[in-house]
Amino acid sequence: MAFPHRPDAPELPDFSMLKRLARDQLIYLLEQLPGKKDLFIEADLMSPLDRIANVSILKQHEVDKLYKVESKPAVSSSEQLCFLVRPRIKNMRYIANLVNADKLAGRTRKYKVIFSPQKFYACEMVLEEEGIYGDVSCDEWAFSLLPLDVDLLSMELPEFFRDYFLEGDQRWINTVAQALHLLSTLYGPFPNCYGIGRCAKMSYELWRKLEDEEDGETKGRRPEIGHIFLLDRGSVDFGPEVTSSDKSLKVLLNAEDKVFNEIRNEHFSNVFGFLSQKARNLQAQYDRRRGMDIKQMKNFVSQELKGLKQEHRLLSLHIGACESIMKKKTKQDFQELIKTEHALLEGFNIRESTSYIEEHIDRQVSPIESLRLMCLLSITENGLIPKDYRSLKTQYLQSYGPEHLLTFSNLRRAGLLTEQAPGDTLTAVESKVSKLVTDKAAGKITDAFSSLAKRSNFRAISKKLNLIPRVDGEYDLKVPRDMAYVFSGAYVPLSCRIIEQVLERRSWQGLDEVVRLLNCSELAFTDMTREDKASSESLRLILVVFLGGCTFSEISALRFLGREKGYRFIFLTTAVTNSARLMEAMSEVKA
Amino acid sequence: MNTGQTCRRVCSGLAWMAGLEGGDTGHGWTGSGGNSLLLPSGSSQAASFGKCFLDRFPPDSFVRMCQDLRVLNAVRDYHIGIPLTYSQYKQLTIQVLLDRLVLRRLYPLAIQICEYLRLPEVQGVSRILAHWACYKVQQKDVSDEDVARAINQKLGDTPGVSYSDIAARAYGCGRTELAIKLLEYEPRSGEQVPLLLKMKRSKLALSKAIESGDTDLVFTVLLHLKNELNRGDFFMTLRNQPMALSLYRQFCKYQELETLKDLYNQDDNHQELGSFHIRASYAAEERIEGRVAALQTAADAFYKAKNEFAAKATEDQMRLLRLQRRLEDELGGRFLDLSLHDTVTTLILGGHNKRAEQLARDFRIPDKRLWWLKLTALADLEDWEELEKFSKSKKSPIGYLPFVEICMKQHNKYEAKKYTSRVGPEQKVKALLLVGDVAQAADVAIEHRNEAELSLVLSHCTGATDGATADKIQRARAQAQKKMEGLEEEPLETLPTEQW
Repeated sequence: MAFPHRPDAPELPDFSMLKRLARDQLIYLLEQLPGKKDLFIEADLMSPLDRIANVSILKQHEVDKLYKVESKPAVSSSEQLCFLVRPRIKNMRYIANLVNADKLAGRTRKYKVIFSPQKFYACEMVLEEEGIYGDVSCDEWAFSLLPLDVDLLSMELPEFFRDYFLEGDQRWINTVAQALHLLSTLYGPFPNCYGIGRCAKMSYELWRKLEDEEDGETKGRRPEIGHIFLLDRGSVDFGPEVTSSDKSLKVLLNAEDKVFNEIRNEHFSNVFGFLSQKARNLQAQYDRRRGMDIKQMKNFVSQELKGLKQEHRLLSLHIGACESIMKKKTKQDFQELIKTEHALLEGFNIRESTSYIEEHIDRQVSPIESLRLMCLLSITENGLIPKDYRSLKTQYLQSYGPEHLLTFSNLRRAGLLTEQAPGDTLTAVESKVSKLVTDKAAGKITDAFSSLAKRSNFRAISKKLNLIPRVDGEYDLKVPRDMAYVFSGAYVPLSCRIIEQVLERRSWQGLDEVVRLLNCSELAFTDMTREDKASSESLRLILVVFLGGCTFSEISALRFLGREKGYRFIFLTTAVTNSARLMEAMSEVKA
Repeated sequence: MNTGQTCRRVCSGLAWMAGLEGGDTGHGWTGSGGNSLLLPSGSSQAASFGKCFLDRFPPDSFVRMCQDLRVLNAVRDYHIGIPLTYSQYKQLTIQVLLDRLVLRRLYPLAIQICEYLRLPEVQGVSRILAHWACYKVQQKDVSDEDVARAINQKLGDTPGVSYSDIAARAYGCGRTELAIKLLEYEPRSGEQVPLLLKMKRSKLALSKAIESGDTDLVFTVLLHLKNELNRGDFFMTLRNQPMALSLYRQFCKYQELETLKDLYNQDDNHQELGSFHIRASYAAEERIEGRVAALQTAADAFYKAKNEFAAKATEDQMRLLRLQRRLEDELGGRFLDLSLHDTVTTLILGGHNKRAEQLARDFRIPDKRLWWLKLTALADLEDWEELEKFSKSKKSPIGYLPFVEICMKQHNKYEAKKYTSRVGPEQKVKALLLVGDVAQAADVAIEHRNEAELSLVLSHCTGATDGATADKIQRARAQAQKKMEGLEEEPLETLPTEQW
């Protein structure tokens, strides 16, 4: 069932080594502060840390109490305080407040700040400005690659997206380059490199520079992974806005969980059937007890029962999760939502969809969903027509408060929600209407905006790459035919299609038009150097690097592609994201 | 070579070798000198020959000794004049000997020795070349271009050579221009920056730092620039370097809000300035007057940015804030910071319908929104009487299905049924199904002859009581089917009329 890998699928490299490396380094850093100490952990680092080292490991290395770094200061009585944080200025302030309060109280303690994955000069600057640079010792925990699954590595840097694509802040590029460098030292050189986007190109160049400075190490080694593909979310950004059929749970889920391994890539409509089948099997196995003699029974209890119990527990967990998702999905609203999304993708009933969005906003259904729909409309239609742009924004502000003026300014800057240039793709009637509504000044703004706004050209790309497959009859989700199955057959994620095409050609050749439409004419690159040494096995392993995050839908789609073509994909992403998180990153919230 | 001679040589060679095993044969060795790095003939040749007669003699020590002797011989040459004994040489180590040669500017010999001894490049040749380059930059009579070119020609990109070190030396000799030229050859931008800063070439340092892609380096330069230049010049420099600018902005956002404002001012970036004041209006200011003032500044900025939409929205917000304040004073409760929608909802929930209507008019809330809003609020209050009154106040702009839906959400079937008759024909089936009237829904669907509606009703026929309804639908379907087929087979007028 589900996605068994083809028998000839290449073996994945063992990424658990990354975990061990990170753990050992953390322990080393903790041991640098001998004796009992309290550990302050930033909330974002808690779950990654949990996958690396649990509480008992921390306790073994004399961590006494654990605190969360948050707005209110914690009261700790320990003589040694250790902070495990991301390099953010707000954390520096927090630490400074704590240290300065101690100073006022005439108390001396030892402080150690461990930055993960690296420290930034700006942070040290703040410590200095706050007058505590001499009181704390700083260290780096170069933990930048967390294996979330056998084929999924996450840098756990959700802020990458906002920092780079909205604020233009490039500080994480270096972290990415370092991570790539680590991967290539551990898993051999990558003979074929492809990439698209400014951020991808910068990361690639910086990584190459690092390799050159430390040359010799990977030379002569046989590559384990044949291809690396760098994509950035700035150029390939209309995938995550569509509701997908993935399930997400706040439980550690990965391939080690037997049940999940079998269902994770299934389209949602299949999951329930699969689970009930599974439940029946389980029951049958339980039922075997009947008619056993004592000896068999003993055997059963000692050997199989534990396994069955475990499976039982997992199964009830998944069924529970399934139920709650089903509940959400079968609601009328959800059906309408999906219908609207599909209509937007295919570009029909635009007016109807727009009024659906308006109603969505008016009824305060969900601030994030509304934003997402507006962005989807903007992307698929090359920007909103001026009248809708104004009215939807007005409605949104009335529903959710004026601070979202800033949200809209963010979205415009990121090119996610823009205004059409007048007369661009408008029908004559509509442009007349919009002229009546907008006054002269607004027209000027429109001009200014649309020249700033990035053109997305969704329709042209979608046609060129056949992103919206024409399906005759019902799309059978039980037997997926192409990558569109992740979106119920409605849409193939752009990123995945591009990867497919480039791998087929082994270059960007013939994709000039697509690259131009993505505004990446100068930014698509290939670098093939050491092909000869690569084994055919390694050439079917592909590392895909998503700068700015990737969605589970994209991962599922590529896993599907891998099965079809005999490849295996390995994913490296700055964070696993989804449309809601993307929108949240762009939203302005009152503190 | 006659036999006697050979014999003698072999003997002395053997003796030499015996001593070698004792470890001190080299003492007091006086070779014939001559060409540098030539193997002294004589005993060692003999030893080489004699070695052939010994079994299992490891060649390493012999080779090493020969090499050492060659080196000693070379430095003993009268041009060089360092007469070292073997033990002196061993005491000094080769590194020190090389240093001495370098100090005497005997670069070529030092390099030859390194190459001969196959010393690793970083310790050997590169180091000496670097020393040579450092000496070269002190030659004041040679022009900057020539020196730089000469150095680059010799050094190329030999590993381990740090052009920045050489440049630092050049700068130490007061040759700033030469230093900059040399830095051009430095492949690692990170190494260029500190020296450029030291030489007060901060702007060049900034572009080099940006080139390196290392944001920490950029930041270092920025702070340097900030102290070195006056504010205006600093801002102007930033303006031409977008990468540095966004980095600095990020820093200011957390650490120096006022600077951020100045940055936007400098660029006449009114749009961002407006956003800045909007943020201040809820993040920095506490008093209502302060907040309104911040919004006013924001609105002015938006006007300057020709963003009329944002300006108008901001002005609306100012009005709303003042009004919310008044509501709090007069009615009690919390109104500040609610969105317009929530403000009106709160008013209705508090029973202030008049005020709510007034607010909706003042802020030109569209009819549709107002209806949704009132509907939800009244249902939350379970004020069914008011809801009915409201539904009859005029024709609903959102239809009547939402009325049915909201009543059912509150599990009030009785109220819901009141509205089903008013639901428009397209949504009638849906409404009837919502209130659980499957039979009537079936009738309507049959009347509409709508296949989708028929299936929808059929899927709701679950209870035992719905059996009849289900049959009815199936019959209707079958008839419709027949009729379709009939249409194909027979002319229309022959159809029996009682079928419908």
